[in-house]
Amino acid sequence: MLRWLLARLGRAAGAAWLIASLVFIGSRQLPGGPEQLALADASDLSRPATGTRATATQQAARQAVRQRLGLALPVFYVTRVAGHWHWHGPANQYHRWAVAALHGDLGVSYRDGQPVAVLLAQALRYTLPLAASAAGLATGLALALALYLARAPDSWGPRLLLSLLAGLQITPLFLLALSLLLLFANPEFLNLLPAENEAPAGGSSGQQAAYWLARTALPLLSLVLAVLPELTLPLVAGLRHEATTGYATTARAKGLTIRQLLRHHALPNAVIPLLTTLTDLLPALVVGTLVVEVLFALPGSGRLLAEAAAAHDYTLVVAGVLLSAMARLLGLLLADVLYFLVDPRLRSAA
Amino acid sequence: MKYFWLGSLLALLASACSTPPAKQASSPITARWARDPETLDPLALPNQSAYDAANLLHMGLLAIDYQSNAYAPALAQALPHPHLIGDSLTVLDYELRTAATWDDGHPVLATDVDFTLKLLHCPGLPNENSRAQYSFIRQVRIDSTNPRRFTLVCRGQGAEILTGSGDFSVLPEATLDPAHTLRRWPLATLQAWPASQAPPRAVTALVRRYQQANLARQPGNLPGCGPYRLATWDTNHQLRFRRKPHWWADKLRPAPPVLQARPQEVVFAVLPDDAAAALALRRHDVDVYPQVPARIFQQLQASPKARQELAFYTTPSYDILTAGFNTRRPALRDKRTRQALSRLFDPAGLLAATQLGQGSRTVGLLPPSSPFYNDSLPLPGLAPAQTVALLRQAGWQRRADGHWWQPGAAAPLALTVRYRAEEATFATTALQFQTAAAQVGIPITLLPAETSVLTTALQTGDFDVYIRLVKGSPFGFNFATFLHSNAIGSGNLTGFRQPVADRLLLAIPAEGNPRRKRLLLRRLQVVLQEEMPLLPLFFMPSRLAVSRQLRHVVPSGLKPGYAISALSWPATDTLRAGTP
Repeated sequence: MLRWLLARLGRAAGAAWLIASLVFIGSRQLPGGPEQLALADASDLSRPATGTRATATQQAARQAVRQRLGLALPVFYVTRVAGHWHWHGPANQYHRWAVAALHGDLGVSYRDGQPVAVLLAQALRYTLPLAASAAGLATGLALALALYLARAPDSWGPRLLLSLLAGLQITPLFLLALSLLLLFANPEFLNLLPAENEAPAGGSSGQQAAYWLARTALPLLSLVLAVLPELTLPLVAGLRHEATTGYATTARAKGLTIRQLLRHHALPNAVIPLLTTLTDLLPALVVGTLVVEVLFALPGSGRLLAEAAAAHDYTLVVAGVLLSAMARLLGLLLADVLYFLVDPRLRSAA
Repeated sequence: MKYFWLGSLLALLASACSTPPAKQASSPITARWARDPETLDPLALPNQSAYDAANLLHMGLLAIDYQSNAYAPALAQALPHPHLIGDSLTVLDYELRTAATWDDGHPVLATDVDFTLKLLHCPGLPNENSRAQYSFIRQVRIDSTNPRRFTLVCRGQGAEILTGSGDFSVLPEATLDPAHTLRRWPLATLQAWPASQAPPRAVTALVRRYQQANLARQPGNLPGCGPYRLATWDTNHQLRFRRKPHWWADKLRPAPPVLQARPQEVVFAVLPDDAAAALALRRHDVDVYPQVPARIFQQLQASPKARQELAFYTTPSYDILTAGFNTRRPALRDKRTRQALSRLFDPAGLLAATQLGQGSRTVGLLPPSSPFYNDSLPLPGLAPAQTVALLRQAGWQRRADGHWWQPGAAAPLALTVRYRAEEATFATTALQFQTAAAQVGIPITLLPAETSVLTTALQTGDFDVYIRLVKGSPFGFNFATFLHSNAIGSGNLTGFRQPVADRLLLAIPAEGNPRRKRLLLRRLQVVLQEEMPLLPLFFMPSRLAVSRQLRHVVPSGLKPGYAISALSWPATDTLRAGTP
């Protein structure tokens, strides 16, 4: 088991590195680049300007930016120019990035010169607790709702709940989050949960906690509501299916209540497909939830990476890709391990 | 238990309906930023947020007075009088204020100005924009008898020289270069340093010291001479600036508007979404919301409660919505074709649809309020009949399929329009043009794109028509950066090349005589309307919504749209009676 786990971890790390390398090389082939965005727009006359900013001046400025950012070097060990391959040796951008990354240095942001590891860590301070809480809350709620809906009689209450869940599933996240903002952080309606406020300066830890709870309540609710149908509806279907199987009938004949049957016998079987959905949430923990972060002005990793991509901040983008690829691959590995633990058939096969 | 929940709900409802508490004099003033400044390095300043922050931390020789929308002396004692030398040089005599000091108490001297200008040209620092902008200052001559007096020798002549010469943050030499190593290198030598040659050792050491200071994130590592210090910076969330208890300009009586700093604390909340920012304003989490989009401004004004709590200002800005034509395309080479297409835009309708009718139509790149505006020219407008006539004059023939063809052409007249995707005004303009063009048989393909993709496409000439903003100002009339033939391949995206226009574009910034300048500018407006490389549609309005409790609101058409350091809460006046 340990050898299998180590082999899978090694393969995941290799795949993540390959993905990041492809993004590194691919990003350098994109038109434009950080130098284009770093230079002032010639049609910006908001500051006094002299001269014509001739093409040669502009090109010199562009070259100076590329030089400063280390983009003047060849991208990879070999390049193909006019049908001929040229070998550049280790004096290339990829080699420098790879050597530094293997020593734990993911580089610095082109925009402010800060280490990207620091920027990512700062953003993850917001994203990780939010996304992890949302995933935990949504999972707990989904289990409770599914167990209720699977045994509920066919009446208007459960039907309404199912319809609401189906409605939530087709609602785009931005619409959901904006609706919550307009409903609960709007003086025209109800300003119950301020989405943006001051942390009480010098307040007790309880006050600080209350502030952060108030501040994160709406984003958390948005995320939970967005994920809830995806987790609940398949589980309800799974539980209902399990309830019609032969072992369920036997259990019922032996005197188990429907609640006991669902909780102790049907749930372990019905939950298996849910594991993949749950582990799919793992990358969202690190790459953040862009829509919620923008709407609620949270400085999380989703906004950080989206802005880095728009500004062609390659080092930050590649570090983000590396991180999210690792999370995705670890999520898949976690799903395999959980299947192994939950499904006895897999254990006996192993 | 049910009474507990009912009570809680009623309490919450009551709090939701309560009026906002009156602000204390020392309460921070919170303004909305749409984006994080990313860096506070005084040499880089990549966006408006960074400029706003730099204006609090640093001082230039001159600063913008938002009451008059003109440059006024800041560190300088007075505006310099330009002396022209020959036909290509201007000399500006400056004297620094005797009260001006750094945070450590040392005076701001001419050597600091000289050092800063050299720093703006040191290779290896993020100063590429500054290098292009201030390369016209060729020499700093320091008065040997007065360490606060100096003379700037500038290449060129014209109003832009004066305003541009004082528009940079002055930095302290003593902190960054205590050994004065940069003094031995003349400014012109650093400006002309070849990119292929390694910089001098002294410069390399200075660059390393500058980078180690990490001014991008820690501007406090450098003593400033601005009124505020950065207290906290939570990236992408909030920046807090605290007023210095003893700022040198406090001694000035009366303090000029550019040297007033009333708020004790200024907070910038980074709120990327407009709707969320409007709600934050309504919840009093934000006190100032500049550059409000038209739709949100209208919604806020429509709410009686918002009208009680907020004050609204609309001022004409200097940003012009323009449509540009790629004059290098064979189909658009003839000016009559470009004129014909310009008649398919409806500036009046677009102004009403996208800007609530605020803003102003224009005949050219100057605002109607400018003394140089050519009011003899007709305002452009929607005229499809003229389009048809002009196309025929340009040799286009309408065939039975409804499309326009030129003799021998392989394809009919069909155009692509590029614009930035996330801006509703651009999309509306493009759709209006597409609809009007379809009615006269010209198919239009709309190609909205993300900023960097759009910039690349425009710079490589991969477009027929573009729609974008030209950011203007009242400080200068140097349109050469994006219309002169020398700038084709860099700023001149339309590829416009016309000898008369080129001569005018170079003559206008160099002309010091206002009467002759007026004639040249009026002539340029005629030439541009005739040649039609681009069509100025209208000047955008600048909309500002602020808390009604705020005093000394100075709305401005210049970015950021208001003077943050002039603002105060009511009680501030009684506490600081000496402040005008």
